[in-house]
Amino acid sequence: MTTEDAAVDDDGGRKQPQVHFDRHTPDYRDRFEDITHELQGQCPIAWTEAHGGHWVASGNSEVFELARSAEYLSNDHDVKGERRGYVGISIPAPPPERKGQGGFLEMDPPDQRHYRQTLNPYLSPAAIQRWVPFVDEVVRASLDEKIESGHIDFVDELANIVPAVLTLAMMGIPLERWTIYNEPAHASVYTPPNSPDMPRVLDLSRKMGMDLMAQLAEIRQNPRPGLVDALVRADINGRNPDNGELLGVCALLIGGGFDTTTALTAHSLEWLSQHPDERARLSRDRKTLLDSATEEFLRFYTPAPGDGRTITADCEIAGTEFKEGERLWLSWAMANRDPSVFPDPDAIDMERKGNRHSSFGLGIHRCIGSNVARTVFKRMVAAVLDRMPDYECDPEGAVHYETIGVIQGMRHLPATFTPGERLGPGLDETLVELQKVCDEQRLAEPVTVRKSKARIDS
Amino acid sequence: MKVRVDPERCQGHTLCAMRAPDTFELSEIDGHSSVVREEVPADQEADVREAVLSCPERAISLIS
Repeated sequence: MTTEDAAVDDDGGRKQPQVHFDRHTPDYRDRFEDITHELQGQCPIAWTEAHGGHWVASGNSEVFELARSAEYLSNDHDVKGERRGYVGISIPAPPPERKGQGGFLEMDPPDQRHYRQTLNPYLSPAAIQRWVPFVDEVVRASLDEKIESGHIDFVDELANIVPAVLTLAMMGIPLERWTIYNEPAHASVYTPPNSPDMPRVLDLSRKMGMDLMAQLAEIRQNPRPGLVDALVRADINGRNPDNGELLGVCALLIGGGFDTTTALTAHSLEWLSQHPDERARLSRDRKTLLDSATEEFLRFYTPAPGDGRTITADCEIAGTEFKEGERLWLSWAMANRDPSVFPDPDAIDMERKGNRHSSFGLGIHRCIGSNVARTVFKRMVAAVLDRMPDYECDPEGAVHYETIGVIQGMRHLPATFTPGERLGPGLDETLVELQKVCDEQRLAEPVTVRKSKARIDS
Repeated sequence: MKVRVDPERCQGHTLCAMRAPDTFELSEIDGHSSVVREEVPADQEADVREAVLSCPERAISLIS
């Protein structure tokens, strides 16, 4: 990354400072910390010509002020060109074959607010607490599949499974279908657009889309509790959305729920393996440490590193002049490394105070799944600390995403450990039992309808 | 010391309730925060200060 003093076409000196900045490169991942601090030190809001040209905000106070300037920032993805033609939260915007509104994350109020109000009672802290016994059972079964062997891939054999199964349960989709959703949910994130693997990934994504459409139609016909049920019956600012629109919402819930939690868990388990003293301390003091450690892992690893916005009117924010229609990248990940808010920002301090990270975003689009993410993460980590406390990750086998422009994730995290004893049935059998529990206890009802915790008899 | 949550700024990050569970309660519906009582007992002051600093939206304010 270099700073340029006089660039071509900078609109009379307004599009300054200009930098070479491209998130979708291995260089950005390799030199993330250096690039972050260069930008923060020189130009916490800067213009880059990458991806059609956009602003990038990396300073904490700048990101904060921009994120709260709701009247000047739009998330809208106007796929049909009915409004102002804005292209949503991805920079670059998705290619034509993947163009679709990404649910309510790519909407503005009032519709966005109506969707949030519809789904809140399924995703609040109180709502998620009810699922803990269910989550623990999926974790138990996943670990039981590997506990006697002494080796596990924490991504494929734990961190991919639990968020996927829980998300489907909360949606009201049969649990055994998790494999249809798992692979495309992850592969569509880590596969570069020009990869030879892309046709296979697109095919899997299509199959997932078709299954989602079938679920939507089925639940419209034969209601069963869950997020999908809430969506098909929703009143969004006076209209009941069609299945096409709801497909985008479901894709958001899956895209938001799967890869991000996996990424957080894998990175954290890897770090704990590299710092066994800290791991032992976390395990011993988890009552006092696990909450703040979780927030610190969130801050440091920021699985969803940022979001794009479109400027809705000429304005000045945080000392920069923006013009209507310009694109802006709000980097949660870089804001999370601002030394003026987080002393020694590039170090992990499990007891960090004042940890006001923006890993779930800021403002009205705060990740609606944040309570799910925290709970699932903590249950997975606690179980690993209990059942395989001496696990050692294999550095040769760990596979990080090559680029971190979309999700800062991992594909594989193999580890070895002292074998232990199985506690119960394996995953497939457990999912059959959990499906019955879901159906009988109607676990996926909103917290306004069902307040009690899931009851799992083991 | 008095504490208040600005309901317009609160977005339900829940960090305040993690840091000072005796002072902040979260809506069952959307996890947004409100104070159990405005006046902060002396033994909760440290936790409440930490909660103020932990709010990503800076939605919590103290009035001495």
